[in-house]
Formats: sequence, structure tokens, C-alpha cells
Amino acid sequence: MSTTAVNTDRNSDRWERNVPVFGFPVVNGFFLGLSALVLIALVLTGYRELAGLGPVSGMNDAFGWGIWKTFNVMVLTALGSGAFAVGIAAWVFRRKKLHVLMRMALLTSFLSYACGLLLLGIDAGRPWNFYWIVFPWRWNMHSPLAEVAICMSIYAMIPLAIENVPPILERLWYFDSRLRPSVQKIERGLHYFYPWIIAAAYLLPGMHQSSLGALMLLAGERVHPLWQTAWLPVLYLGAATFMSFGCVAGTTMLCCLVWKRTMDMDVLDEAARITSWLIFGWLGLRFFDILFRGALGTAFHFDRFAAVFWFEVVLVLAGGLMLLRSVRTHELQFMFLGYILSSAGGMVYRFSPTTLAFRPNPEALYFPATIEVLVSLGFISLGIIGFLIAVKRLAILPAPLHEWHDMASYFRFRRPYIRWTGYFKYGYFGEDEPDTASND
Amino acid sequence: MGITRRQLFSGAAKAGVPAAIAVTVGTDILRAGEPIPVPNAAVGLLYDATVCIGCKACVAACAEANDTPPDTRGDALHQAPSDLNDLTRNIIKLYKPEDGSAFSYVKRQCMHCLDPACAAGCPFQALHKDPESGVVNWSAEECIGCRYCTITCPYHIPRFQWVGFNPRVTKCELCSHRLAKGLKPGCTSVCPTGAVIFGPRTVLLREAKQRIQNSPERYYQNRVYGETDNGGTQVLYLSKVPFEKLGLPELGPESVPAKTLRWQRRFYQYFALPALLYAGLVQVIRRSLKGHEQEAHEREKQTGLRAQL
Repeated sequence: MSTTAVNTDRNSDRWERNVPVFGFPVVNGFFLGLSALVLIALVLTGYRELAGLGPVSGMNDAFGWGIWKTFNVMVLTALGSGAFAVGIAAWVFRRKKLHVLMRMALLTSFLSYACGLLLLGIDAGRPWNFYWIVFPWRWNMHSPLAEVAICMSIYAMIPLAIENVPPILERLWYFDSRLRPSVQKIERGLHYFYPWIIAAAYLLPGMHQSSLGALMLLAGERVHPLWQTAWLPVLYLGAATFMSFGCVAGTTMLCCLVWKRTMDMDVLDEAARITSWLIFGWLGLRFFDILFRGALGTAFHFDRFAAVFWFEVVLVLAGGLMLLRSVRTHELQFMFLGYILSSAGGMVYRFSPTTLAFRPNPEALYFPATIEVLVSLGFISLGIIGFLIAVKRLAILPAPLHEWHDMASYFRFRRPYIRWTGYFKYGYFGEDEPDTASND
Repeated sequence: MGITRRQLFSGAAKAGVPAAIAVTVGTDILRAGEPIPVPNAAVGLLYDATVCIGCKACVAACAEANDTPPDTRGDALHQAPSDLNDLTRNIIKLYKPEDGSAFSYVKRQCMHCLDPACAAGCPFQALHKDPESGVVNWSAEECIGCRYCTITCPYHIPRFQWVGFNPRVTKCELCSHRLAKGLKPGCTSVCPTGAVIFGPRTVLLREAKQRIQNSPERYYQNRVYGETDNGGTQVLYLSKVPFEKLGLPELGPESVPAKTLRWQRRFYQYFALPALLYAGLVQVIRRSLKGHEQEAHEREKQTGLRAQL
């Protein structure tokens, strides 16, 4: 009997379904504040398009790249590589427990890439010439920047966007029973092409996240020797993997705290364990690379480069150690802090070669202008707004089975007039459940 | 007996692996230390800092030849830019050490490298090296304004226009429009002492070596900067003070792109290795997807809730 199976599972805290956040309004004070930031950023963007980059930013001839490229694209897409890193762990290395985190990873990735690409278009001085992207014979195949620009756009617009379609289809499926045949048809097509789409979604980020590192290879001596190495592409990719694990698992934990959901220590431990391996592997590669290039001495000079280097290493190392400890002792506060610290260290690392450790020929300083910071914040807020809407309307956040039934009973009793969700087809007491389950 | 579709695919895959690896490892054009070919009709400049009197006639002539307004932003009166900028493709600077030893002027403009880093990084080939004359030109139709050239150029030459909705990248293009009409570049046509001269690169190189031979004590290291530096450049320098003091870094005989992008170029050669990786990923994911779907449908039967994939 299916009923028995359901009732036993309702008491389990094992994450096994993605359930929308229910019982919280989408629009609240925080949401309105973020919307105000987005609005300000949009207005300032209009001003930037008319006035040029000089009046709105701190960029100059020596520092041709400001935080729009170096923070919003280089750093935040690393945090948004979850679809790549968690996905490879789940689908290629078959860490089955991580499947339940995949929707979180896909959503954060899509939002971070979309916002990064939008800002990339604003940062480009002559964005109208981007149309060359559809003429492959115009591509400079050996340019790391061409690789990044082309690969990133294709990735975000095709495989990553398609991977994010299932939660939307699922909502449509519950939304209106008349849509179900067409939804099922689309799902079947999607499943047929899924291996090819997922494989592209792992190859492309692997390529452009490493090419982001290769960008600074051409800058040669101007990047401080603690950072400038032939291994820059591998190190950038490695940093993206542990940072994105931190982003996915950390965001999930934060959401569970904010919206009062139970946490599944099995899944979180698995993620923390993998993250700590990634962190120590990365630190080892970073250390031996510096050692074998003979650049270790510069880490003990009394200058800003050494300070930034030790800041970054200490953050990543402390984060890794805390994660190891949390796996052993199940202390959630250490796990969360571990993710925060290691991701912050990774962010410092990804930010350094272009900005903190960049020494242009004429000594000059770069500090972001107010408008620049506001636009950057506005586009980050846009991503957060997208996230808040998505988790409250779509089944993104992982939850135990009983959460789904709680949601069904919530809608049944608190919003009886909402017939269309279909979520309450099976009520909390199971009174509507059929004896034999059907797929529709 | 014919072959099945499965045999065809697996056979192709088995042949593809060594083929992709062979393409990636054995690519001929990417070997280290190979001299960079010089374009047939490579033209350039020879600047002799020991002859330059710092009159800046070339700066004014450059602006005139390129039809740019004089940069009077310094004092609202004189054309006196402090460095290369969006209105200045060519500038004369002074190196004057504190200790009173030998001073020198230096003329800075694009070096027209044989293997230019700016063009190597330019995503849609807006900066490109002319295959005949070897001049590195910029075209507004392809430039997306990413400013990667200002990061990559080891001589810090290309400058971005920071103000205005339609910014341009400014760099010396060796007066290509004048060369097409049979004229010399603006700077060389006005130099009163012949400190900067224009000609085919081979002729200029011979001339420079002749000058070193004629007065062996006169020049730093008895060396022509640009003969082999950064893989060779089409603008050549002679100086009595160290080149580094004039803003010409010692980059070694290998060009910056060849030195730094060798692995990058090898990896993406004909896209062979990425294609191989892709095929492998598809195979692995197909199998995990099958297992995952099976588990999801079994769970669906147990819970009565629609499987989420």
C-alpha cells in the first residue's frame, strides 16, 4: 500500500524533494530595498551609456578594467559555478546525495551569469559590436577573452538556461491540468537531449572559467609573481569549484535558517567533505606552484602584495579547517563560517591578479567611483531579487518529504480559493491520496 | 556482414581519441623558440634617441596627419599632453635622472610587434596585423571596447577614450592612410634632425647596425631594441641610456603571446581536445542519468508524488 510508505517517510528529515518556500510574501521590505537599488542602477546605466565610462568610473589608462569586470564577472561567476562543480560531482562522479542541491546550483549559476553578462555589456565601450559573436569566422580563436565572451554567453543562454527549465515546467504542470499533455511532451524532448545539454554545461564552464585565469597571462610581469603563473587557468578553475560549493551549500543553509527548514546533515556533510578536499587540493597546488617558481620569498616582503596573499591564504585555509571540523562534529555554525571564509578567500584570489596584484607600467591607483559601486550593487541586487522570486514560486530549495505535504495542507487551509496550485492534491492527512499512485 | 550503428560510433570514438591527442600534442606551429615570420613588405620606424632634440614637431605633425584636434587639456592653450591618450598617438618624453648623468628623449608610439599581444587578445580581431605591411591597425567595426588591449600591450600603447558614448581606441597605425597615398608617416616627414626615419624594416635594421658600427661607444649595449625583443618589432630604437629607462622593458627574445599562451593555444587547437572531452562526458552522463531516472521513478511509486528531475 502506498499510504504506509508515505506515512513512514513523513517523519524523516532526509532532503529528497525540492519544495517552494510557502507562507512568506515575495514583496517585503528587503525586496523593496533591493528593487530601489536596481532602479538606481538602471538610471545610472542610462547615464553611463550617454556619458561614457570615464565620468562614471574610477577606471583610467593604467587600470583599464574596473570592478564591473573584475568583481561582477570574474569573482561572482566563480561563486555561480555551482551548476558546473556540484553538477560534475553529482552526474559525473555520481555523488548521488548532491542531486537534491542541483536546482539550487542551477538557479544561482544562472542568475550570477545573467547579471554578470548584463554588466559585461554595460562595461564594454562599444557593445553594439557584440553581434560578431554569431559570425564564427570573426572569432579570434586563440584569444582568452574571445573564449570567455563567446563561451560564457553561449553557456548562460543555452545549456544553463535549458537546465533551469524543469522547475518552470513543473509549476506549469501543477498550475493547470490542461497544460499537462504539452508539458509532458516538452519534458520528454528535454530528457532525450539531456545528456548532451548537461555535458555542454560542464565542458563550457570548464573552458571559460579557466580562460578567465588565462586572461591575465598576457599581462606578463605586471601581475605580481605570487599570482602570475602558467597554472593560472587551473587555479582559477579550482577556486571556482570550491567557491561555488560554498555558494550553493552556504546559500541553502542560510535559506533553511531564514525560512525555518530542517537541514539534512547527510547532504551537507557530503558537500562539506568535497569542498574541503577541493580547498586543500587547491591550496597545495597554489603553494607548490609558488615554491617551484621560486616566488615564495616575495610572500615575506613587507608590502601590500604579501598582505593580500596571506589574507587570502589564511581565509581559505581557515575555511577549509572549519569545514573539516564541522564534518567531524556536525557543528553547523562552523560549516557555515567555513563556507563563508573559504569563499571570501577565493574571491580575494580571483580579484587579485586584475586589481590588487596588478602593477601597470605607469604607477597609478584605481578605486571604484560611487556610481560604479552603485551599478555593481544594483546588478547584484537584481540577481538576489530573481533568487527570492524563484525560490518562493518554484520548487528550488531542498526539503524533506513532509515539507511538501505541509505546503499542500497550507494551501488547502490557508488559501482554499487557490485551486490551481494542485499542490494540495494530497492533503496532510492523506485523505485525497489514491491507492495506486499515478504519474499525472 | 555489415557493421551496426553501435560499431560505427564506437569505432569512430576509438579513432577519435588518438587523433585528438595527436592534434593537441603534435601541433607544429606552436613549438617554442621558433622565429616569428616577418611580413614581406614590413615597414617601420627607426628612432635614434641620441639624435632627437625633443622639439615635438612629430607630435604636432602626428595630430595633423591623423586629423585629431590638438590635446590642449593641460593648460587650455598649448598642445602639451603628458602621456599618450585618446587624442595622442605619438609623444616625446624626457628621461632625466636625478644624479645628473646622461639624459635622453624618447618617442613613444606603437611598436608594431611582429607578434602583437594586443591582436592576440583582441576577441573579434578589431586589432589586426596587416599581412603585407605588418602595420597593426584598429577597426571600429569589430571593436567591442573591452579594453583588453590596454591590459595586454607590454608597451602600454593602446589608449581608450573614456568620455563619450562612442569611444574609440587610439594607437599609432603608422599613418596607413598616408602610406596608401605613397606618403611617409606624419612624424617622419617633419623630423628636423632625422631622429625618426621611415622605411622597410630590413633597411632600417641595416642602417641601425651601421650606426652602431660607425660609433661603437655611442649606444647602449650596442644593440638595436626591437630586432629580437618581444619576438621582434617593426619600430626600432637606438639609445645611449638603458632601454628600460625609456619605458621599453626587457622582454626577452620570445614574444609575449608565444611565451604565455602556448598551452592555451595547444588546448584549443582545432577544438580537438574539448570535442573529445565532450564525447566522454556525454557517455558518462548518459549512464548516470539512466540510473537516476530509474531511482526517481521507483520513489515516485512509493510516495505518490511526481518525480523531480
